[in-house]
This record gives sequence, C-alpha cells and structure tokens, in this order.
Amino acid sequence: MFAPPIAGAALLALAAEGGSEAVSSPLLDLVPIIPALPLAGFAFTALFGRRLGRLAHLVPLAAVVASWLIAMAVVYEALTGGFGEHGAGITLWTWVPAGAFQVTVGLFVDNLAACLLIVVTTIGMLVHLYSVGYMAHDPGRWRFFAYLNLFMFSMLLLVLADSFLVIFAAWELVGLCSYLLIGFWYRRRSAALAAKKAFIVNRVGDLGFALGIMLIWVSLGTLDLREVFARIGELDHTTIVAIALLVFCGAMGKSAQFPLHVWLPDAMEGPTPVSALIHAATMVNAGVYLVARTNPIFAQVPEAMVVVAAVGIFTAILAASIAFTQNDIKRVLAYSTLSQLGYMFAALGVGAFSAAIFHLMTHGFFKGLLFLGSGSVIHAVGDEQDMNNMGGLWRRIPVTHWTMLVGTLAIAGIPPLAGFFSKDEVLGESFKLGFAWVWAIGIVVAAMTAFYMWRLMGKTFYGPPSGHARSIWDRIHESTPTMTVSLVLLAIPSALAGLALGLPFGDSVLKRWLEPVFAGAEETLGHAAGEFALLGVDGALILASVFVATVGLLAGIWLFGAFRAGGRPAMVARISGANAATRFLYRASFAKWWFDDLNHLLFIVIGGKVAAACWWFDWVVVDGTVNGVGRLTVDAGRGLRRVQTGRVQNYALGIAIGLIVMAGSYLLIAGR
Amino acid sequence: MTLQSLDTYLVLAGALFAIGSFGFLARRNAISMLMSIELMLNAVNLAILAFGAFVPGLAGHASVIALFVIAVAAAEATVGLAIVVAIYRNRRTPLVDEYDAMRE
Repeated sequence: MFAPPIAGAALLALAAEGGSEAVSSPLLDLVPIIPALPLAGFAFTALFGRRLGRLAHLVPLAAVVASWLIAMAVVYEALTGGFGEHGAGITLWTWVPAGAFQVTVGLFVDNLAACLLIVVTTIGMLVHLYSVGYMAHDPGRWRFFAYLNLFMFSMLLLVLADSFLVIFAAWELVGLCSYLLIGFWYRRRSAALAAKKAFIVNRVGDLGFALGIMLIWVSLGTLDLREVFARIGELDHTTIVAIALLVFCGAMGKSAQFPLHVWLPDAMEGPTPVSALIHAATMVNAGVYLVARTNPIFAQVPEAMVVVAAVGIFTAILAASIAFTQNDIKRVLAYSTLSQLGYMFAALGVGAFSAAIFHLMTHGFFKGLLFLGSGSVIHAVGDEQDMNNMGGLWRRIPVTHWTMLVGTLAIAGIPPLAGFFSKDEVLGESFKLGFAWVWAIGIVVAAMTAFYMWRLMGKTFYGPPSGHARSIWDRIHESTPTMTVSLVLLAIPSALAGLALGLPFGDSVLKRWLEPVFAGAEETLGHAAGEFALLGVDGALILASVFVATVGLLAGIWLFGAFRAGGRPAMVARISGANAATRFLYRASFAKWWFDDLNHLLFIVIGGKVAAACWWFDWVVVDGTVNGVGRLTVDAGRGLRRVQTGRVQNYALGIAIGLIVMAGSYLLIAGR
Repeated sequence: MTLQSLDTYLVLAGALFAIGSFGFLARRNAISMLMSIELMLNAVNLAILAFGAFVPGLAGHASVIALFVIAVAAAEATVGLAIVVAIYRNRRTPLVDEYDAMRE
C-alpha cells in the first residue's frame, strides 16, 4: 500500500535527471484539494458528527484516504521533476491587502514539501484507521475525528504554505489541535493540565517565531518564502543571526527542544493515536521542517547553526538519560521522541539538512509505529500504562509484539532497518563536517537509545507477567483488525524506508531528491561533497554506530531479558545492582533532572511571588488611586448634601455672600 | 458735598438696598420678605433715576427703565402675594423657616 509509489518514484527520480524549469503540471491544480479534504471532513463532522454516533469516523477517514491518494500523485509528480527542479506553487488569494502589507495565500510543492507530504498523509491515514478501533467505545469519537481532521488540514497547510504568515497561522492551528487533543479527556484533571502546559510552553516559542517574522517583514518587506530566501543575503549579519535564532526559538517550542521540552512528556495524557500522530510523527517535526525550510537563512550564519546543533544534541542526551528510568510506557516513548528530535536538530545544525529530513521521515514511521503499538498494549491490559504491571505479553498479543520489535530495532539503529540508515547518516555527516563533539555525544545517545528501548520491550513483552497483567492474564487479547493492520502497514516502511531511501551510501535517493532544496545552503556553508569511502572513514563510522547500538541492545537484553522468562531473579539482582551503583544518576533520571521542579520553582513559586507583588501594586496603587478619586467625590457629595436645607433664606444668604465676595474682589482688583 | 448731588442719592439708595437685603434675609414672615423685596427694587429704581437726573444723555433711558421696574415690581408683588397666600392656606403659618419641604 505504501512501498510501491515510493520505490517507483525513486526509480523515476533517478531517471529524470534535473527537471526543466517552470513546468506547469495539471497536478498542481490538485494541490489545494490535499488540505481542503480534511478541512471539509472536519466541518462535516463538527456539524453532523454527533448524530452519526458510532459511524462518525466514516467521513473523516474517507477524507484522509482521498487526501492521501492525491498527495501520493502530487508527490510522485514532484519527485519525478514534474514541478520543475525548485518546485512549483499556486497563489490562491490575497489574504491581507493592507497598503504596502500584502500577504497572499499560496501553496507550494517542492521536493522537501513532497517528503513531508509522504510522512504526514501516510501516517495520518494509518492513525485515522487505527483510531477507528482504538476509539470504538468512546462516546466522544465524533469530536475526536473532527479534531484529527482539523489537525490534518493544519499540518498539510503548514507543509505546503509559501509564506511565513501562512506558516505561522498553520503553526498556531496545529498547536490548537494539539491542545484540543491532549485535553480530549478533559474531565481528567491531569489531561486538562497537560493540555494547558503544552499550549503555554508553545506560546513561549511562538513568541520568538512571531518576532522573527516581524523582523523579516521590517527588514525585507516581504513574507513570501522564496522572495525572502532570494534576498536574505542583503541584510547585515546581526539581523540574520537574530532572524535565525528567533525562528529557531519557534522551532524549539514546537519540537520540544531544551529548555522548552517539558510539555511533550505530559502531552501523553492525550489518546494514544494522538500521541503517535501529533506528538511523535508529524507536529513535533514541524520545527525540524521549519529550520530545514529556512535553510538559506541559517546557511548565512554558521554561528546560529552551532546553537541549533548544541541545543539538539544536548536535548538528545538529556532526554535519553530520562528515558532510562521512566515506567510509563508512553513516557519512555515521549522522551525517546525528544531524543530523536534532538538528533534531527543536531543534523540541521551541522549542515546535514538532508540527513535531518531523512531521520525525520524514518523516525515518523517507526515512532508512529511504536506509539500505536504502545496503544495496542495499553488496550490489551485494560488501560494500564505502567510497565511494572506488564510483562510476558508477547505470547498474548503477538502482532503488536512483532511490529513493536521491528520499531525497536529500527530506532536502535540495527541494519538494515530504517533507523540505521538515517541515524548513521546524521552521525556520519556530523563527524565528516567537523563536528566531532556532536558525533561523540550522538554515538553515546545511540547506545542509550538501544538500551532504553530494549528496557521498554523487556518490561512490557518479556519475562513473567507481573502485577495487573497477571491478574487479568486470561482476558488479555490482541486488538481489533483495523488497529493491527495499521501496525503492520507502519512496520513495512519502518523496516524498508532506509533501504528504499538511504542507498547507495553517500549519494542516496533521498539526498538526490532534496539536493535542489539544500544545494544553495551547502554551497554557502562551503560543504564540499566528499567522496564516500566505504572502506575508509565512512565504513568506520558505520561500524561504530552499529557497534554501540548492539552494545546497548545487549546491555538491555542482559538486564531485562528476551522472550523467555528464565533467569528472572538474576536479572532483578542485576537491575537493582545497576541502580545502586548509579544512585545519583538514577534519582536524577527518575526525577527528569528536576526540570519540572525547576520550572515550578521559577514560574510557580518565584513567578507567583512576582505576580502577587504586581497584583498588590495594581490593587493598592492603581486601583487605590482610581477608587480614591471615586470615594472622594462620593464623600464630598455626602458632606455637601447638608447645604440643601430647603429654606429659601439660606439660599438667599448664599447668593448675597457670593455677590458681596465677587463685587468686593472686583473692587479690590480694579481699584488698585 | 451738597445735598443735591449724585452721591447723596446713591448713598440713600445703598442704604435702602441694605435695609431691604437685611429684611429679606432676616425676617421670618413671608409678607415682610415681600415688603423687603419691594424696598430693594425701589432702592435700585432710585439709583437709576438719580443717574438719569445727573448724567446728561441718560435721562430718557432711566425713565423708561424705572417705569419697567415699577411694572415688574407690581407683577412680582401680585404673584408673590398669591403664592404666599396659597402656602399659608396649606401650611397654616406665614413663617418661611417652616417651609422646608424642599430639603434634601
């Protein structure tokens, strides 16, 4: 279902060397339909979904399937050069016609957008399919599918937009959908809080992004992507640095990079399909996409790219270290997502843009698969998420187990699965482009990834069942066919996407696709395309990453076992021994390096005190002044009321005195 | 200063006005207050006529104004007395300090 168009597109991309310029393709007119269909599905479901009850998923599902079909046709056309080497776009209408401030809404497809379209529409469709089974018993399913369709629309708009302002609008829309879907079970307090946390933390990043867009407008007078990229070199260096860092600030928020990473683990309060679609495979990639899309800006300022690389690789190792000790199956995956997003930013930062997009695509598939698998596990054990209450499940839910095993090996970087190719490209490019420190940390993270993913597998699927899982052992059953079909369909690209896109080494299919997008930036950065030496440095780098991945996996197997339940007491002893040996690290990891506590201290305790002081100032000084004036008037009126005696002679006396005073003062002044 | 001077008339008019003002402010009886008003009006009239007699060119104007004041004073006295009688019938007292229905 998925693989054939990709393989076909790959062959044709190789065949059509360098498409001709400004080709108008009839398929271009179909591009607006790709986001329009989910939008229509959203509108229909929002209006009539409640009456459809258990059938509410039909229209949204049909909308995304149709959208997927059209998207695949468009992707095929784009990657075979049908839209020209640098893509083609259509302008839909003028959104903001305000004097000199003109913003048009247009859609734009180039090879980068096409790669994102593959990920977004494919995973979006499979998640919709999966949700049919997952949300079967939820009374709010019409709401769920309406939100999912709205999200698909927003994400597709984000990928296809050709102007910064439209990207920003879509950026906020996906944030809104994320908020709505994290808080989908809004009666649960923790879900409502997590939704607010995600929304507020994202605001911090979005503020930076908005400022960046404003700076682009005031310095260049245009928000059209291609125009900005063409003219960015005119600006002075400091301005470009500011623009790049502000745009990256937005990317940090959406892609949950340190220090704005705290919202993503909490976002796991949402339904699992949402975690898979929004918080693993698509929305969180928006930041990576944004930096990749704005590569001509970043290429001008290498020092800003070092910041990107540093933040990325630091997030990667930080999140990986936290994933070691979490017991909630979805949280482990959430920290793993953070860590892999860190990889992508590291790749962007070192200038390996196509490696970042490669990892984005493969990660989208295998992480989507892992999340959907975890949802299947959670379903099987009766809405239990604590891995301490699982174990031995591989016999009871074999499809989920085998597909998740594929996902685990893929993320661990075991050849020939997808993650091996993309991760190796990220690490190899870092090393070859002179960022040995990124490579060194990255290789440690690779080992850690393999280890904590096997820990997840071991605690969930292997060993004897414990706790809750044992008490309901006989009732544990495999999920419905719509769910397992989605898992299998995602397992295929998780296994094969690397082979399809990542070969041959050094000159891969994906690299050729993305070359028109990134060639300019690589030229600006002075990255020469070196020879690929399988028997030299590249081979050594591949061996190193495979070696550390294997070491990580073996350590995981040593501690948490595989398949058979034998040797369990010895493993428990080893685990507690390892924990005791690293007591401080264990506690730090378990407490997520106290970032939530730090934020609590900074923003709730100290920030609360500051806010209370401001409140006091407002209450006492500002309100006090205003109320004081009012009270003075009232009191003066009350006092002067006594003057009104109702006796005519008192009034007359007042008139007389007034006259005398006026006449007397006139005489005094005029007489002088 | 001879008796036949403007100042003499103005002093007399001022004195009459002061007596009238005092009467209006101090007397409690409504009829007395009306009489005080007449006194003040006449004091003003006297001053106007004095100016008319001593300032050349004002004679004609002064006579006309004085006639107007007399006419207005007559009308005022009529209306005022009617009001006083009406209040007296209502409240059974001519003393104005007991008319305090308009108090706050």
